[in-house]
Amino acid sequence: MSILSVKDLKVRYSASGPEILKGVSFEVDADDFFAIIGPSGAGKSTLIRCINRLVEPKSGEITLYGTDVLALNSRGLRKLRRDVGMIFQEFNLVDRMSVMDNVLSGRLGYVGNITALFRLFSKKDISRALSVLDRVGLSDHVDKRADQLSGGQRQRVGIARALMQDPKLLLLDEPTSSLDPKISREVMELIVEIAAEYKMPVLCNIHDVQLAMEFCTKMIGLQDGIKMFDGPTAKMNTKKLDEIYAMEVL
Amino acid sequence: MTTAEATAREADRIIAARSRTKLMHSAIYLVVLAFVLWSVKTTIVDDTDWARLGSLADVLESISEFVGIDWGLVPNLWEPAIETIMVATLGTLLGVIVCVPAIWFGALNITPYAPITYPLARLMMTLSRSIHEIVWALFFVAAVGLGALAGVLAIAVRSVGFIAKMSAEAIEDLDPKPVEAIRAVGGSDFQVFIYAILPQVLPAMISVIIFEWEINIRRSSVLGLVGAGGLGLVFFRQLNTFNHPGVSTVILAILVLILFGEFVSYYVRKAII
Amino acid sequence: MASSATTHRHSQTRRESPREWRRFKFPESLYRWAGVLLGLVFLSYSIIYLNIPLERFFTMFGRVGALITDRYYPPEIDYVTQPEYLASVWETIQMAYLGGMFGMAMAIPLGWFGSYNMTPHRRFVYPLARFVTMSTRSVHETIWAILFVTILGFGMMAGVLALTMFCIGFAGKLFAEEIEAIDMGPVEAIRATGASELSVMVYAVFPQVRVAFTGIGIYTWDVAFRAATVVGFFGAGGMGWYLKRNVLQIETLRVSAILVSIVVLVLIAEGISAWARARVAKAK
Ligand SMILES: Nc1ncnc2c1ncn2[C@@H]1O[C@H](COP(=O)(O)OP(=O)(O)OP(=O)(O)O)[C@@H](O)[C@H]1O
Ligand SMILES: [Mg+2]
Repeated sequence: MSILSVKDLKVRYSASGPEILKGVSFEVDADDFFAIIGPSGAGKSTLIRCINRLVEPKSGEITLYGTDVLALNSRGLRKLRRDVGMIFQEFNLVDRMSVMDNVLSGRLGYVGNITALFRLFSKKDISRALSVLDRVGLSDHVDKRADQLSGGQRQRVGIARALMQDPKLLLLDEPTSSLDPKISREVMELIVEIAAEYKMPVLCNIHDVQLAMEFCTKMIGLQDGIKMFDGPTAKMNTKKLDEIYAMEVL
Repeated sequence: MTTAEATAREADRIIAARSRTKLMHSAIYLVVLAFVLWSVKTTIVDDTDWARLGSLADVLESISEFVGIDWGLVPNLWEPAIETIMVATLGTLLGVIVCVPAIWFGALNITPYAPITYPLARLMMTLSRSIHEIVWALFFVAAVGLGALAGVLAIAVRSVGFIAKMSAEAIEDLDPKPVEAIRAVGGSDFQVFIYAILPQVLPAMISVIIFEWEINIRRSSVLGLVGAGGLGLVFFRQLNTFNHPGVSTVILAILVLILFGEFVSYYVRKAII
Repeated sequence: MASSATTHRHSQTRRESPREWRRFKFPESLYRWAGVLLGLVFLSYSIIYLNIPLERFFTMFGRVGALITDRYYPPEIDYVTQPEYLASVWETIQMAYLGGMFGMAMAIPLGWFGSYNMTPHRRFVYPLARFVTMSTRSVHETIWAILFVTILGFGMMAGVLALTMFCIGFAGKLFAEEIEAIDMGPVEAIRATGASELSVMVYAVFPQVRVAFTGIGIYTWDVAFRAATVVGFFGAGGMGWYLKRNVLQIETLRVSAILVSIVVLVLIAEGISAWARARVAKAK
């Protein structure tokens, strides 16, 4: 049984607009580290954001750990989101909050409104945040404000926030595109390690095919909302890549 | 094990620090709250004539008197509504004219003699903005008598501050090169103003003026309360004759007028910019 | 298109006389002159319609000057330093403070509901919140004061409520605009953790707007204080009541003293507000 299965997913942003995803299907297993590649505008971000319903698909089917994602009500959706960690290209930290608070915000799916309102996180949550920060190598920056960190450090905070959720699936939307090549490699290495430690599958949008080939076990190639390739990274070759990126070359 | 202990200690430190901040914040909020409560007591509890107010039912009843529209009044509202718009418009225009020296003196990069003219202009702007339009209207009613003129003057004087301040700030931010160019061909201060400065700041100024015009409709709709014409006067009359649905009607008319103003300003802005 | 027309016009300019040159802008110039003409017609029509005596207008400056020196000068400063009047000043400050507090407390949720990006419901809550802010804003504070005085009787309660209404409209709109300008990235990130909408507000939105909200709050208080000086004129408490009494009794020297006191107080309030806002902006 696969952990995540997506069937015939179709998305439009507006009724009159173009169809961005034109029926995409794939399956993700427990130990998969999926790369989603494709030219800009292919619909990679859209696809990944459908899985935790930051974007509402028009039709199709998404099943995650046996739950029909698209049928969930708002309460169920919140519960689902808390099981799905997400890491963003622009980090999406709250700049004016401390690193600690940014990381703690990963627990928001678990705590009640009063706790959230007065920031009454338990000692357990704080200890957990500390060890997660330690894991991503930020134990010296706990009390700093998020906007005082470098890009690589900020993305590490983003990873820590996702880990606080105790996720069962990790979604990455170009986690390294705002970072320089050396830092990108470090961040990818960290993510691969962590995914193995937490034994969770990963779906990763990525622009840099080199990085994708190096770190990911499987690949989906998207072009203009249509899946062009789906298989182990080893089966990807230059010819197929050229095909996927044909639009961009033209 | 030691790392776990270290983490636990660090967690304790963080929790202690967080509760300290929380304590400080709560103290501040408590002070604010105490002052609010005390003010509520002195201003509302002590100062209100509770006997006159009566029970909640009485209050609700007097509110319910305002529900409804006096359709008979509607035809009589056209004239004062037009008057209100006119007072607002003339007042804004006059304000713009009065603004010119205030802008000229009040922008640091073009003010003729900064030590004197700049503070003078700033004083003008602050005075204009800080005195409420009702007070200005009272003053002008005393000076020129009852009627629309007092309203126009009050609106004009009240508008100067904001228009002049925003325009002077726009001028202070402008690109100095065209100014130098006009100076270089031998232009006078006035010519520099007309040919180099005005074209640069005109869009910003016009948008400020339209914005102020919108606000002025709101202002001129009440000046009638102190004898300066427009819808305010009708409002006052309805109130004095205890025609409470009429009062609501006038308020609705003011709302419509302001919506009209927003509508016009939206289109004018789109047409110009 | 526009640039080619311009060059064309320029090449014509060189050859022909200025009078001819105007003709090439023909359609726009017609609209423009029509607009100006319409404006002038409206202007003169308004002046006639409103019965504005222009001759009086031009001699006015002298008359106002004479009026001030004859009747309003020197202001009776003793009147405004007596304890009773000072107490009313204090009341005015309290009214503005309370109105600001209550108004802000309601303006924050209204700002949230009335911001297009964060509103809980775009088709129902959003227009409703917009309508509430719009209408509280459109009704002038003096009208609010009169309404509350009519319903609740003379006193500061009416004043506080009038100022509350004023602050709701004033701050609510600015708050909503501020929320509409935030970066949506953190909002999505916090939503993606499964947080409730309230948590999203507290963690992703509020930190982004806190500084701006504080600035707006101070500014609102400052403007509310200005309004507070006059609501008493209609019986809603504070120093405006003294103004009304002396205006009615034609105690012009006292009126001018009160006006001076208002100006001084408002200037002080504005000074404090500008200072506080500058500090808040620096604190970021
Ligand atoms: N919120 C939105 N509203 C309308 N159209 C959108 C929205 N988001 C994305 N699109 C459109 O959907 C298409 C796919 O966008 P998407 O962000 O999924 O592409 P992508 O593959 O992630 O590209 P990139 O590599 O540049 O991030 C684009 O044509 C984009 O213009
Ligand atoms: Mg993308």
